[in-house]
Amino acid sequence: MGPTAPFAVDIDRISLLGEPLMGGKAATVGSLRQAGLRIPDGFCITTHAYRRFVSHNGLEPLISLELGRKPLEGMRWEELWDAALRIRLAFLKAPFPTDMADVISEFHEALGREKTLVVRSSAPGEDSASASFAGIHESVLDVIGRDSLFRAVRSVWASLWSDAALLYRRELSLNPLTSSMAVLVQEFVESDVSGVAFSRDPLDTSAQTAVVEAVPGRCSDLVDGLIDPERWVLSRVDGEVLTRSVGKDELEANTRKLLLEKDLKMIWRILLRIESLIGNAVDLEWTGRNNGYTVLQARPISTVARDNDETRSWYLSLRPAAKRLKALSERVAGILIPELEALGHRFNEECLTDRHDNTLADALTERLEAVEHWRKVYWDEFIPFAHGVRQLAQYYNDRVCPDDPYEFVGLLKGENLLALERNQRFEQLAMTLKANPELFQATRTYTKDLAEERRYQGFLTQARTLPGGKQFVSALEKLLEEAMNVSYGSHRLASHPEHLLHHLIELAQLPTGQRSLEVHSKASSRMELENRLFSGVGTENRAEAEEILAIGRLSWRLRDDDNILLARLESQLLKAMDIALKRLSDSGRLEDSSGIAKEEDIAIVAAALRDPQHPPILLSREKKVKSNDLGNRRKEKPRQLLGQPAAPGTTTGLVRIIEDVDDLPNFKAGEVLVCRAIEPTMTHLVPLARAIIESRGGMLIHGAIIARELGIPCVNGIAGVLHLLKSGDLVTVDGFLGIVTVGAPEFDLEQVTLGS
Amino acid sequence: MSEFEEPALAGLFPATMAEEDPGVSIQDQIRALMFEQPYAVLCTQGGGQPYGSIIAFAVNQDLNAAVFATPTATRKFRLLSECDHVALVVDNRSADPGDISHIHAVTATGRAVDLSNYDAEDHWQKLLIDKHPVMHDFVCAPSTALIRIDILRYFHVTRLQEVYQWAPQHPSQ
Repeated sequence: MGPTAPFAVDIDRISLLGEPLMGGKAATVGSLRQAGLRIPDGFCITTHAYRRFVSHNGLEPLISLELGRKPLEGMRWEELWDAALRIRLAFLKAPFPTDMADVISEFHEALGREKTLVVRSSAPGEDSASASFAGIHESVLDVIGRDSLFRAVRSVWASLWSDAALLYRRELSLNPLTSSMAVLVQEFVESDVSGVAFSRDPLDTSAQTAVVEAVPGRCSDLVDGLIDPERWVLSRVDGEVLTRSVGKDELEANTRKLLLEKDLKMIWRILLRIESLIGNAVDLEWTGRNNGYTVLQARPISTVARDNDETRSWYLSLRPAAKRLKALSERVAGILIPELEALGHRFNEECLTDRHDNTLADALTERLEAVEHWRKVYWDEFIPFAHGVRQLAQYYNDRVCPDDPYEFVGLLKGENLLALERNQRFEQLAMTLKANPELFQATRTYTKDLAEERRYQGFLTQARTLPGGKQFVSALEKLLEEAMNVSYGSHRLASHPEHLLHHLIELAQLPTGQRSLEVHSKASSRMELENRLFSGVGTENRAEAEEILAIGRLSWRLRDDDNILLARLESQLLKAMDIALKRLSDSGRLEDSSGIAKEEDIAIVAAALRDPQHPPILLSREKKVKSNDLGNRRKEKPRQLLGQPAAPGTTTGLVRIIEDVDDLPNFKAGEVLVCRAIEPTMTHLVPLARAIIESRGGMLIHGAIIARELGIPCVNGIAGVLHLLKSGDLVTVDGFLGIVTVGAPEFDLEQVTLGS
Repeated sequence: MSEFEEPALAGLFPATMAEEDPGVSIQDQIRALMFEQPYAVLCTQGGGQPYGSIIAFAVNQDLNAAVFATPTATRKFRLLSECDHVALVVDNRSADPGDISHIHAVTATGRAVDLSNYDAEDHWQKLLIDKHPVMHDFVCAPSTALIRIDILRYFHVTRLQEVYQWAPQHPSQ
């Protein structure tokens, strides 16, 4: 494509220029319009314009930098989402070159400045028989005015770099860095009825049928899955209607036919015409009825394997539509979380120790089933709802265009996360220790010796007699019962009061305000950011912004809480398992009572409980292998490791690797906490940490959330960090840039004298 | 009990991927750079002043020594005579100048040895000329000194900021 390639082309000239410049969608609608089909007026902003925009604003190096932070195949979805968020913001903030802006404005003027427009992606190769990007790239509806048009074009271009687009392109082995995108701008046309139609039913393997679906009003409600359509299956031989079905909404309303026989005939003829023009079975979006039919878009039906298509659907499910999120928020907050919380409470209230063997086995099975059920709920509903924060992030960035892509996090400050509430109680206990030297001393002495159950009881008795001790013990017991009754790995944290006391001693010794000294936060207040958002959206969209903000905040809070509540449930399963194993051990039905039982053993344990004569069972004990046990497989030493800048600040300290519950008591205040990921159940360690390093990456994962709340530098997403570092290593953590420097600079090796 | 997290793209991204050792050998990457790149920047120092010069170089198979030639009347030769602590910077930035994240670079640190007084000079001369045949006359000129750098350590940089250190073995160690 030479320097004379146009920035924009009228829809009537599209068919002359071809797909590399126009993209798949525009090239198709251009050729259909050329062939006389009714297609809305419009113009196409070419891939040349996209490339010029990218080079004019230096976006290519930025994209390379974001995607080159680590190998693409090693990036988790959260990390790709973060990269996509940063890239999107860069696109939204980038100005159009003046000459390009003038050309687009001229085309806009010619189309009608006041008209409502639809702005669609049109990437080369996006809709072909071998790949379908349907729904992956963005379309923007209801665009009115020049500024909105320019904003829509930027966001459509940026959607080439969305998380779903990057993942799907990689799935198809397409190089994201060579991708480009044209944009189709058309007049928005909406008739009485809209829908989709397939000249060959993609679900019919015999390829004998076609399908038409219709909804009242606009097509986007159908495409987004917000309305169940009325559906007709037609014979591919003559277009005759074979079956008709209606969505459940229609069924309840006892139905009217959105399309008559003659309408279906008309759509069938359009389908055949387009199929013959494109040379492939097609699906199309249409709108019309009494005043004829307009084709909104058409594309070849992909012949790729179904599971590939399912993969695309899965990527799309990563970002549920706004209406689905709203419905989810009501269900999650109103029904699921209270149910989960109540179940945890009920289990906690149940006394299992005096139960008969059979009913103990019932309780064990019931708890296992409950845990399995709630894990499924977690995946099916809690995780999709977690997207509420991401929806807020994109909404805020799109409207406000802030300098910092994570400025929106300030809107979430002050939400009452369970983990933070627990940390506050933790700090209060530490303050009590600090204020009462005798109590502090007694607690320290206890944590330095072996901590057996009877010694713990002895400690409590002694502590109660010391100044401040009564309240301390009462608050401690309450914290253990209410907040630490969660699982961590295969352990209940409540079963290890010595760990909690050890961390309280560490926290009590921490100089006040030490952490915040090294952080240079410029965070604006929650109120300032709210005002920024509301003025960005304008009064007409204030209600929409408020709703997205409310969903985002709820999603943020529950994202953490649901993990803790689920861990409480798991803790109750572990408690039942402990009691059951003791029962079996006492009655000679357990071969070896050492080690940790696994969840897979529950059925065997329950069976043994139900049979008093059961021969001794042998459990498949978990054998732990720590990362450093495997040895550092590299001969090279890491000097500087690159991850994601998850919480700002820089600091230097000694590494402490935390891999399981045995590592918890080794953690000392002021160390750099290195782990696979901070789980919501271990966030009480975070206030003690000088900095956090995680192998799992993402700006919105728990470690990053808590670190940012507490002002602790955090770098995450360093693959293999548990192998690369070991406890005691000196590291400098740069949470601004996502860099961890290992060791101090030295040239000791270079001082040696070698022989010649 | 299992740990919970957001989708790890089951079936597409193995869940353990993030934990795995990055895998590709840094040594292989260093070897590729040192053999494929014809030129390096030699860093010397003198009078408290660092100095950089571009040189044509070659390395041996063990990667523990590099060799280059320089006229004896040059500033770098004089600086080397005063202080044998040197560094070499080798990179592939010319391969993809538009993409900074694709640059691989290595800084080799070590000690410089003037080979004019050693028997093995022919061996090192051949190594250099084999890689740079066009420099034959320059390397063999009476006013040229052949310098070997005993490399003690490599600092390998990728993705702008990811740095690993590797120390090659020396027969005398």
